[in-house]
Amino acid sequence: MIPGGLDEALVEAAQAGSTSAFTRLVERHQQAVRAFLRRTCGDWAQADDLAQETFLAAWSQLGRLEAGASVRAWLCGIGYNKHLTALRSAGRSRARERAYEAEKPPSSAAMTDERLTLEAAMAELPPDQRACVALCLAADFSHQEAADALGLPVGTVKSHVTRGRQRLLQALGGPDDGR
Amino acid sequence: MTDADARLKALFAEDEPPARDPVFATAVMQEIARRRFVLDVAFLSAGTLLGALVLWALWPVLGPLLKQMSASLAPLAGCGTLAVAALMLVDRNLGTAFAPKSGMALNHD
Repeated sequence: MIPGGLDEALVEAAQAGSTSAFTRLVERHQQAVRAFLRRTCGDWAQADDLAQETFLAAWSQLGRLEAGASVRAWLCGIGYNKHLTALRSAGRSRARERAYEAEKPPSSAAMTDERLTLEAAMAELPPDQRACVALCLAADFSHQEAADALGLPVGTVKSHVTRGRQRLLQALGGPDDGR
Repeated sequence: MTDADARLKALFAEDEPPARDPVFATAVMQEIARRRFVLDVAFLSAGTLLGALVLWALWPVLGPLLKQMSASLAPLAGCGTLAVAALMLVDRNLGTAFAPKSGMALNHD
């Protein structure tokens, strides 16, 4: 659990111009942001590039962060928008890149079969659903926090998580407990 | 949390980046420092350009005025320069005398 009080103090100091406070924020949230982007992108290198762009955007938009808001959700929201922008621009050259993607080795050499199946199933999900699953099932975000981060209604997040979870469990061949 | 959720969470955890990654944090802060530098240079360049333009525009008025005043202002300017130089020297000596000893430096931003 991330202590919000420390985040608030760091954000306040960073807004006042403290570089070391912003460095602490990067150190504290890099894992959550990178993990989220890895799960939504599937490509680890691109995810890390997007995470870096996310923190750069956060640095310039820090003044807009409201007091008491979740820094983790805010950063993931910026990262998600960066991912959507990258998806849109990639869509134009998708046909050209598909052949390259097919030949590319997987991001992690030591992936288990189950892990590969999960990754393939995640790639099949629509971007919104994938992002909801990545936040709520993998990163313990509440539905409300995920809705705030992604700019979606809470009901939509809930249905995305339920459907996404069902599809992932089906792909993994496990028993679906009907939730 | 059901078994299915725990299984999904365990599989997701396999692609978790390290909790501490100084290389990533350093790369981000380097890029921020680079952008800040570019912004500072742009701001200073714009200020300098603006100053030069104002000076150029006002020169027909300022030029003759400065020429008139230069004779009377020269001794005053000399005294002022000497005073500023003396103050800087005194300040530097005081700064050295009261500077924290090695290992006692404060951690400033």
